[in-house]
Amino acid sequence: MNIHEYQAKKILQEYGIKIPKGKIAYTPNEAKKAAAEVSIKGPWMVKAQIQSGARNRGYFIEKDAGSEGGIRLVKSRRNIAGQAEEMLGSTLVTMQTGPVGKKVSRVYVEAFSEVERYFYIALAINRVKAELTLLVAVVKDHDILKLALSRPEEILRVSLSIGQEVDKDKVTQVIKFLKLKPRSAKYLAKMINSLHQVFMEKDASMIEINPVGVMKNGELVALDAKISFDDNALFRHQDLAKLKDDCEVSERELQAAKYRFTYSEFEGSVGCIVNGDGLALAAMDLLREKGIGTACFINVKGGVDKDKIASGIKIIMTNPRVEGILLNILGGFLRCDLIADGIVSAASEVGLNVPMVVRFEGTNKEKAKEILYTSRLPIIWADSMEDSVDKLAQALEEAA
Amino acid sequence: MSVFVNKETKVICQGITGTQASFHIQKSLNYGTQVVGGVTPGKGGTMHLNLPVFDTVKEAVKETGATASVMYVPAKFVKSAVKEAVEAELDLAVTIADGVPLKDMLEIKSMLKGSKTKLIGPNTPGIITPGEARLGIFPEDIHNQGSIGVVSRSSTLTYEAVLETKRAGGGQSTVIGLGDDVLIGMDFIDVLKAFHEDDATKAIVMIGQLGGAFEETAAEWYKRLPDKKPVVAFVAGNAIPFGHKMGYAGDITTNGYISVQDKKDALSDAGIKVVNHINDIHSALEELR
Repeated sequence: MNIHEYQAKKILQEYGIKIPKGKIAYTPNEAKKAAAEVSIKGPWMVKAQIQSGARNRGYFIEKDAGSEGGIRLVKSRRNIAGQAEEMLGSTLVTMQTGPVGKKVSRVYVEAFSEVERYFYIALAINRVKAELTLLVAVVKDHDILKLALSRPEEILRVSLSIGQEVDKDKVTQVIKFLKLKPRSAKYLAKMINSLHQVFMEKDASMIEINPVGVMKNGELVALDAKISFDDNALFRHQDLAKLKDDCEVSERELQAAKYRFTYSEFEGSVGCIVNGDGLALAAMDLLREKGIGTACFINVKGGVDKDKIASGIKIIMTNPRVEGILLNILGGFLRCDLIADGIVSAASEVGLNVPMVVRFEGTNKEKAKEILYTSRLPIIWADSMEDSVDKLAQALEEAA
Repeated sequence: MSVFVNKETKVICQGITGTQASFHIQKSLNYGTQVVGGVTPGKGGTMHLNLPVFDTVKEAVKETGATASVMYVPAKFVKSAVKEAVEAELDLAVTIADGVPLKDMLEIKSMLKGSKTKLIGPNTPGIITPGEARLGIFPEDIHNQGSIGVVSRSSTLTYEAVLETKRAGGGQSTVIGLGDDVLIGMDFIDVLKAFHEDDATKAIVMIGQLGGAFEETAAEWYKRLPDKKPVVAFVAGNAIPFGHKMGYAGDITTNGYISVQDKKDALSDAGIKVVNHINDIHSALEELR
């Protein structure tokens, strides 16, 4: 689960990390008042709150939202309301949102921080070593993805010992790497320890401050913040679960999450139904080789409730982007006949109007086939992963 | 011969009285697995599926001589279940549940360091030595005895790989699902090492996927190995765009972003036969003969 910048900053502040004074606003008038509250004089930052990075390099779909991105420097208090009005209710598109963008429902008004320079800092998990890893870098235009892809050696990675304060040596290593002045060392140590504490106490999966600003006196200030929480640990953080913003997630994702299914959307036209992420990945690879993109996939995992399974299948059948359905089920825990029942029940409710290729393997495969034969649904049968993709490609061609 | 489990392995089940556990333990018993008891705190002294139930793993081990445990406990109890298994010095623990909190896994991984216990999972179908022992949720009827070791990071692609070994006219020595979660117990190296030490295993199929650097580290290990058994590998996830949540943004913690192609290149470079389609595995296996 992700949260908004202003919420993440509030958490970081509770753990002793310095943030600029700021206030959230839902209307232009609130924005104007917020500006007066956070600073008696400008400039101010007015920041669109959507859960995405690269908001400064984004653009709004609506023409009357102006040509600037979602992070705006406003020098005069008179202009605050106007800037907020442009952004509120408009749709911001960034590299991370996809072309549809995300609607801005609130803006964060902050006092501008005078800083000498910037750097990137993050805490994440190194999967192979099962360690907490600190990442730091000096990043041009705050574009960490670009740096990770083009010059990964310019990102310093330091392992942290879980539950322990950071070693002095490691702080020195980071200071040297970033070429910071020694007077920032104590602030850096404090920041690393605070991030570590937030990570463990709040069950985060990733924390990122991009950028950290370095002030004249060496102090560090979090100018942006992103925290992702581990969905699997939300059960022990009722307070955090409340921060979930349903507007940030598509209706279909919400539905799938309700049944604890994995659901992912992409740019293509085929809907995949699987009972393991790996099956979806392998099917998507094969589709791509044929020049066919995937619209979405749902992983119904080891479902045992056929109504839930039917609801999951409906999510795929009712996606308007889906021009063909590819179902690959390898029954183990999950019984193939439950899936067959789910298909019949979903199709009777919402109709099956696109070609659907079905491939069953494993537990109760024969029974499942019989259910679908009896239903007289226009199913195309396949007997291997590759066969299923070939047959769907053929059906899509015929339909075109 | 096989790795980690065989027909002699005495197995206990943690959480044996649960519905899914009962269902699968019964199947494992029918399969011939030597399940010798179960653990459910508070139900010690009772019988379940004709097996004695104990309050703690230590007691169960003392009374039955078990060396392995399979756990069907829910994700939030996995940490304490593994802790018990480690403290009872079991050789092997298999945990099926998906969605174990990352923080719990970080703690589990540090518990396992320096301990005797090896962990398979979480979020795995488990381990099966065809005709001998089944610990997990594998469909029994797709497996057959043979000389190909199968190890996979993707649960369902494990079954695909097994079907491919059969299409090649072979069978499996042991099949292991490493688990689909972000953090897992055993990795490729642990299993490849065991397969290399096992006389019955003549060739290995490994299934990797996007995320983490498990394939790269395995490739490095294999490259340095003096006596290599042939390995056929498939890596899934080429079609996932970078930055998508399935690509795990945390991957920049390793060394830059690792694409599926990078993984394939690393494996090929180490001398592993990499196939582009999962259904090409059987022909690659046939070519080994």
